[in-house]
Parts: sequence; C-alpha cells; structure tokens
Amino acid sequence: MKKRVLSVLLSATMVAGMLAGCGGGGDSAATSGSAGSDSNATEETGGSTDAAEGESTDAADATGDAAASGEFDWKKYDGTTINVMFNEHNYSKAVISKLEEFEALTGITVEYSSTPESNYFDKLNISLSSRSGTPDVYMTGAYQVWEYAPADYMEPLDDYINNPALTASDYNYDDFIPGVVGALKWDLVPGHKVGEGSQWALPMGWELNNLSYNKNVLADKGLEVPKTTAELLDTAKALNEFAGSGSYGIAVRGTREWATIHPGYMSLFSTWGAQDFAIEDGKLVCKLDSPEAIAMTDYWVNLIKTAGPPQWTNYTWYEASSDLGAGKAAMMFDATSAAYFQNFAGASQESGNISWSTIPLPEGKTEADMKANIWIWALAMNKDSKNKEAAWYFLQYFTSPEYMQYAGTDGASPDTPRQSVMDSDGYKEIVGSAENYLESISALTENASIQFTPQPYFFECTTKWAETLQDLVTSNKYSSTEEAMQQLKKDLDVVVSDLVISE
Amino acid sequence: MKEQNVNSTATSELNVVPFKTRVLPYLIVAPALIITIGIMIPFIMAIYFSLTNYSFRMPKYNFIGLQNWINILTSSVFWKAVWVTLRYAFFSTVIEMGLGMGIAILLNNLNNKFSKIMRVALIFPLMVAPITATTVWQLMLNNSVGILEKFLNIFGIYNFPWAASPSTAMMTVVMIDVWINTSFCMLLVLAGLQSLPKSPFESAKIDGGSTMFNFRNLTLPMLKPSLYIALLFRLMAALQEYAIIFALTQGGPGDTLMNLSLTAYQNGFQFQKFGFALPYILVLWLFINIVAKQIVKRQRAAQKQAAGLEE
Amino acid sequence: MNTASNRLSRVIQNGLLAIYAIFALFPLIWMIILSFKSDAQMYNTTFIFTPTLANYKAVLFESDYLTYMLDSLIVSGGAVVVSVVAGVPAAYALARYNFKKKEDIAFQILSFKFAPEILVVLPLFMIYQKLHIYDTYFGLIWVYQLISMPLLIWVVRGYFEDISVEIEYAAQVDGYNWYQIFFKNLIPLIKPGLVSAALLAFIFAWNSFTFPLMLGGTNIQPITVAITKFLGTDSAHYGQLAVASAISALPAIIFALCIQKHLVRGLSFGAVKG
Repeated sequence: MKKRVLSVLLSATMVAGMLAGCGGGGDSAATSGSAGSDSNATEETGGSTDAAEGESTDAADATGDAAASGEFDWKKYDGTTINVMFNEHNYSKAVISKLEEFEALTGITVEYSSTPESNYFDKLNISLSSRSGTPDVYMTGAYQVWEYAPADYMEPLDDYINNPALTASDYNYDDFIPGVVGALKWDLVPGHKVGEGSQWALPMGWELNNLSYNKNVLADKGLEVPKTTAELLDTAKALNEFAGSGSYGIAVRGTREWATIHPGYMSLFSTWGAQDFAIEDGKLVCKLDSPEAIAMTDYWVNLIKTAGPPQWTNYTWYEASSDLGAGKAAMMFDATSAAYFQNFAGASQESGNISWSTIPLPEGKTEADMKANIWIWALAMNKDSKNKEAAWYFLQYFTSPEYMQYAGTDGASPDTPRQSVMDSDGYKEIVGSAENYLESISALTENASIQFTPQPYFFECTTKWAETLQDLVTSNKYSSTEEAMQQLKKDLDVVVSDLVISE
Repeated sequence: MKEQNVNSTATSELNVVPFKTRVLPYLIVAPALIITIGIMIPFIMAIYFSLTNYSFRMPKYNFIGLQNWINILTSSVFWKAVWVTLRYAFFSTVIEMGLGMGIAILLNNLNNKFSKIMRVALIFPLMVAPITATTVWQLMLNNSVGILEKFLNIFGIYNFPWAASPSTAMMTVVMIDVWINTSFCMLLVLAGLQSLPKSPFESAKIDGGSTMFNFRNLTLPMLKPSLYIALLFRLMAALQEYAIIFALTQGGPGDTLMNLSLTAYQNGFQFQKFGFALPYILVLWLFINIVAKQIVKRQRAAQKQAAGLEE
Repeated sequence: MNTASNRLSRVIQNGLLAIYAIFALFPLIWMIILSFKSDAQMYNTTFIFTPTLANYKAVLFESDYLTYMLDSLIVSGGAVVVSVVAGVPAAYALARYNFKKKEDIAFQILSFKFAPEILVVLPLFMIYQKLHIYDTYFGLIWVYQLISMPLLIWVVRGYFEDISVEIEYAAQVDGYNWYQIFFKNLIPLIKPGLVSAALLAFIFAWNSFTFPLMLGGTNIQPITVAITKFLGTDSAHYGQLAVASAISALPAIIFALCIQKHLVRGLSFGAVKG
C-alpha cells in the first residue's frame, strides 16, 4: 500500500510538476508589472541565447578545420557566444571593463558571472562537474590546476598558442615572466614540480609573498628592517603595543584553510629548506616531519604567539592588510599587493607609509636561498567547451601585451605577469611610486615560484595543515611542535595514499 | 466553542454538500505537494551518491556499497562533529527560546509607546542576511579596530579573543545566532500572548490565583502551541547551521566548530569528495526528521489542549 | 493597589527591554554609521568623523546593485506569491477535511523546510540543467518553495482550524457558493496570519544564500550572493558593504511596517483569533 502511494505520488510529480510549475511561473510574472515583464524578457533572451549557441557550435565545427591552416583573423568566430566565470577581483574587473572592445573586435558575445571569492570555487566546481561545457572560460588559481587538469576540466593550451592561424603574431608568449607562466605548466604526475608538461592556463596577475612594514613606525622606534628570522622575532616583539592596546608586531593570516599556508608561511618554509611532499619508492610521502619543517613551524608558532595578531585564527587577507593600513600592525608577511592596496593615496590611514623588504633569512642561509612562494590568478579553458576557438580568442585577447599594459596601469592590477609591461614607463610611474615595491619583487623574482608539490589533494592537505597550526597556537593539544608535525604527516600520508605516480 | 470536534463535524457535514468526493482534499493539497515534492528527487539521488565514490575530481565514479558509511561512522571526526552540532543547537535554541519568551512577555506587559516601537524594531536583525550580519559582527569583535574592544577596554578587559580561541569560539557564534534569531521566537510568542482569551484569566482572578499560578496553569499551556513551533523552526535550523560558523571561523580554531553541516560542506565542495560527504548530511537529515516529528506531534496535542482551556 | 512596587516593576521591565534593545539594535546602528565612513577613517574613528556619501554613490550608482535588488525582489516576491496561491488551499484542505495520511502529508510539507540545503543542491543542479531551468527566475522561485511554503501552510492551517465551520454553513444557507464563501468570508478571517506568515516567508526567501548561489549566477544574481562583492577584493571596504546590507534590508522593513497592525497577532498558534 505504502509503495503504491509512493509510486503514484512520484509519477504524478513527474507529470504534474511541469503543469504546476507553469502555473507557478505565470503567477510570479503577475506579481508586479515590471517584475513580470522582466522575467519574460530574460526567458526570451535565454531562449535566443540557446539558439545562438547551437548555431555557433555548428559554425565552430565547420571552421575548425579551416582554422588550423587559415590566416589569423579576429573576426573568424563572429556570432559565437561564450560563457565566462569570474572570481570577483581587480583582475576580473579590468577584463569586464574591456569586454565591449573585445566583442566589437571579434563579434563574439560574452556572457559572464562574477562571484565573490568566498564562494567562487564551490560554484565553479559544481558547474564544471556537470560537464555541460559551461563555462567556456573560467578564472582559476594556480593550485587549482592540480585538481582540475587531472579531472579533465582543463584544455591544454599549447596547440592554440603555437598555431599561427589561431594566435595573433604579436601575442609574444615569451614575454611572460618565465617563473609565472611556467608555474601554470604541469605534467599531471603527482609529486612532479610545476614547469614541465602542458600549459593549462595563462596568467592574469600574480603575487609573491614577502615582508612589508610601516616605515614610520620602525623609524619612530629606532628599529632596523629585520634581515634574519632572529631579528624578525626581536623586532616584532619590540613593536608590540607600539600604538597602544590592540597594536602588535606582525600581521599574518591564520584561518582554517589553505590561504593560511601559502603566503608568508610557505615563503619562509621553503627558504628554511623544508618541503611538503616528495616521491619515495614510487609513492608520494609527506615530509612535514623533517627537522627543517619542524624548526620552521616552531619558529612561526612562536612568532605568532609573541607578536602576531591577537585573533590570529580569524585573520584573512582582509584583516591582516587592514591592520597594516590602520596603523595597528607594524609589519606584515603576506602578498606584495595586499600591502600595496593599503598604500595608495586615500586607501587607508597609513597610505604612503608602507615599504617592502624581502624574506628574512634563517640561520645559515644566504640571499641565494630565498624562495618566495607565489599565487597566480589565471584564465583557463573548459575541456568540455563547445566553443573552444572562440574561448581561445577570449583567453588570447585578455592575456595579450596590449591588454596587459592597460591592466597593469589603468586597470589597477599592480602585479603584471608580462616583462614588457613591467619594463614600461607607464607601469613604473604608477606602481613604482610605492617605495621598494618593484625592487623587492625583482630581488625575489628569480627564485619565485610555486613552492608546493603539485598533487590533487592540495586543498585537503593545506586545510589540515592550517588546523594543526591553529591547534599549536591556541591549544595544548600537542606537547610539542614535533609531535604535532609527526601526527600531521601521518594524516596527510593517508590523504594522498591513493595517488598513483606514473613515472 | 468546541474546537476538538470541528474537524470531525466538518468532515461529516461537508461530505454531504456539493463537492462530496473523497479525492477532493487530495486535489486541493496536490499543487502544494507537487511543488515541494518535486524537490524530493534530489534526496533519492543523494542516497544513491552516498553509496558511490562520486567526486568532482574524477571523470567516472563507481558503486562502492557502504564503504563511505563505514568509514565515516567509525571515524572520530564524525562523532566530534555530532557533539559540536548538538552543543551548538542546544545552546542557541535554549537561549533564543528563553530570551525570546522573556522579551515577548515584557513587550506584552508594557503597553507603552517604547514597547510598541520595539515590537517592530526588534525584528530588524532578522532582515539582515546572516552572511553580512556575521561580517559586521566580525568587524565589531576585532581586537585591533573593533568597537566592542574599545567598549570592553573601559572595564579593563583587553584583547578578549571572541571567535579566535577554542574556549570562547562557541560562545561567540551562538551569540551571533542569538542576535539574528531571537526575534523570530519573540514574534511567535508575542503573537501567542496577544491572542490569549481574557475570560479564563478573569475567572482565575476571582478564584484568587497568584501570578505564578496563572502563568503555569493558564498562560503556558495556551502558549505551548506557539512555543513548539518556535522550537521546531529554531532547533531544526540550528542543527544544520553553517553560514554563520563558516563566515566567522571556517570551523576553527582547530576543529572547535566543525559540525556535521560544515564537515559535509568542506568534504563535498572544497575537497570535492561528494559521495564521501553525503553520509554526514544524511545522518543529520534523518535525525532532524525524527526530532521534528516528535515536536510536531506534541504541537498538535498542545493545540488541542489549548483549545480546550479556552472554554 | 500597591502602586510603589508596581511602578518599580515597570521601571525594571522597561530597563530590561532597553538593555535587550541595545544588544539587538546597536549592530544595525553601527552598520549605518560605518556606511558614512571613508576607508581612511574606518578604523581610527568611532563616533566622530567626517561623514561622506561616497559609499552610497559607489554602491547605488557605480555598481549593478539595483539589478541585484530587482532580482531578489522578483525571486522572493514570486516565491511568496506562488506559496500563497498553492499553499492557502492546501492549508484549507489540511484543516477542514479528514483524509487518509492527512497528518503525514502535513508533516511531509513541513519537513521540506528542514531539508539541508547542501544535500539537495548538487542533485538539483543536475536536474535543473537537464530541464533548462538553471539560472532562471522560474527555477529559483520553484526551489524557494522549500523555504516559503511550509511556514505559510502551517500558520494558515492553524487559522482555518480555528474558524468555526458554522460560518460556512450560514453562508451556504444564504445561497453563496463555495468560492464566494472562501474569498468573502474566510480570507478576511485568516488575513492576519496570512500576511504575517507571508512576511516571514519573504524574509527567509530574501536571505536565502545557497540556492541562488548554486542555481543562479549569470542572468540572475540576488543580493545575498552579490553582497560580499562590496567588501571588495583589494582591501576591505566595510563602508560599501554596510551600505549594501542596510539598503537590502529595506524591502522587508517596509513590508513589516505595512502589516504592522496584523504582525503582532498574526503568528499565533492555537489560541482564539479574529
């Protein structure tokens, strides 16, 4: 009896769902005049977009063969519609402001969504997992490549870059800073470093992580910019309460997520000589219990406890950089641009007072050992896209030297991935006005790269890593840093245990 | 008025008049049911996915039986999450119910201008999206630049850690939940108080009952239906809260605030292990359904009892 | 009677209410204050600062804020209207008729309010893509029924149960048909419950976050999804966020003020009404 009721209900649902749904839609349209007409309008455009997409797919297929041999022509994919997903960011704002020019040049229509960062990747994951081909192009981070490329969510771009029929002659791929564009290459083998293999995405902007400080505060206290880790600890300690209660020595991030590991912590971790994973006997093995990793983590925990933000476990990019700008933190070990955005006129109370340094050196290390970790925002193409050539045009246009020049100067994206832009007078004039900003970047660029070992469980591993750091700072769960790191190593070995290393 | 009998009389009598078919009530309910039950399909799909290793990361997935369930139910992470879920739900619901009832009684007793303004003004916190409410609170709670720090400094308290320390994090998220949702309880209880019939109280006054006696024997039983509804809605929401916790601490410090919803969200969407994440949330759903059914049963009984008291 | 202690108790009661009111309203007042602060004065000032309208200008005129608001209005308003149209008759049937599985059906409807959103959202995404209702008003209004319908049905059902069936007989004797009775006699009696429940349903729908995030986004982006955009990406612009959230609360506040008269009594369960 119960079963029958259920099946009747279910089938009734299927049939009547549509009817009731239509009724529902009609009702909602009747809510108010403007609302109703608006919803109809959207449905109509939705319909026509579908039609356009269908046609354009055919068009793209038809021209696909011709494309491989023909002349390069911006108008070749005229009439195509592509869908782009952006993370809400200065980089994407700059792109959006130039969309009309792109559409006029190519005849390609761009539909886009822009989602705040806190939820962007959740939304992107769901969209990609449906494998429907939407979005055609999406904004991604470098670490996400290790997840998306093996999952077949990313189209390798090499064949597009190297095809003169698809890529304008003035694109100048070699102009990208090698460390930055190389960090978006990977051979898909967990444990292998970035830099080899296919080009999975192209950079929009990047940031490296180093020490920045409020030069007035240090001068007032008669303190030198710390050059070693020992000096950093002493200086930070001496700066505690420099401006009364609530002010402290050094701002760093501390929330329970990957974003706590990759900025200052990872730069110092690598400079210290530690690494996260290594391949041993054909298996990926966590190396977080190495003496260097333990010593560095012990130092870091101590730094936070003595001179870090009082509410460190709640500190994200926003809190850390705001405190520097508000004159509450004397130094910050985070992204170059985090401090930059506090420094331009009118941005914060301390704007104009901020300067940049490099990475403080642990005992026995020299400047040649400095390894800054980097983060890259990039554009990638969906492997399931049905408009790949048009999508490539989009990628190409918004990573071209001409566009990058705009983004680096008027587009307010201070970290350009192109050498030609970095060398240009316009860029130097705007970005170079920040004291020591360009100098610290160029000092670190040579060894700046992604210091993590690529593997698809990156986010799970770094979240657990951050959790362990939080436990060490806020609780007595572990008797020593060594014990905590050994436990963490065991946990992470389990997480990555099912990865197959195909040498 | 004999409220208890209304339903049965209604049925027998209305069955005689024009639309006397047995299908009619089902037909009237149908649109509502269809609209909501269409949503039922995802549940069935979710149960199926929980038996697979479905992951956004892999192009294909396999049926793996109860593997996810066994892994989760035997892990300490799961039981810790259950404990956090229950503690969070208990504290926030108890405080919201108690405070909501207290404020409603105050608003009801004080029939002055101040209380009349407050009747509307106090529901404003409900109207701010929880995500932004949490962001504003976070800013207020900041030790370096927050307004509450400046306020506490007056009393000689410096650097109170709020959400940043394992010992105060639970209290802080509960406080924000209370700030947002107390007005919901208050609204329901106040509505109940305002519609209490006068006559039983008048006769009780003649009998010389004390205020306390009246409250326990008349007000409370008649308020019970409203209280149960408030309890139902708040408890069920608190058991699956994740927006406030996620915005404030992402479940930290350590694993202090990792409840079932957050653990499922993190495994499913951030770590992309969707099949593995589902048992967490299915256990939660089952538990919610059992508890909700009990509360609803009691609410129905209380409603009948309250109707009886009005005579 | 003993007026002295009576007065004292009044003072205490007013005092307690005032303390709670400070707790409940201060964050909102603080939000309004922040909305007038420039970024440079955000942290180094408390109550005395140079007020600026720059945040309002940035949010209202230099962004798509009004489009997000309109999307929110259409989706939440539409959801409430659908809930009323389908829910009120259902509530009537659940109150008036005795039929098999009545309580089960009533509970089933209610239980949807408690469906964990994280559980349903991925399967829903797949279904929505198949049905081509992903990222449409229709799709969002439909899924919002999970939020708005259950509460509405339960409040209104309570009202119908309390209305004496004799009212219907009397009207029948007078020669009115069922539809006339329903709209002329019954609807006015359930109005307080209906509008109050509609307000709460509207608020819940308005504040919904997971559904519009995952099932909307390109064409339709309600304010809850868009609001953290105003926090900015380069540095935190709390002033703009404050403007965006303060204004986004306005529709619900206006709604509440309009139905103020009914609001206080409208959400009662089981006691005498009307």
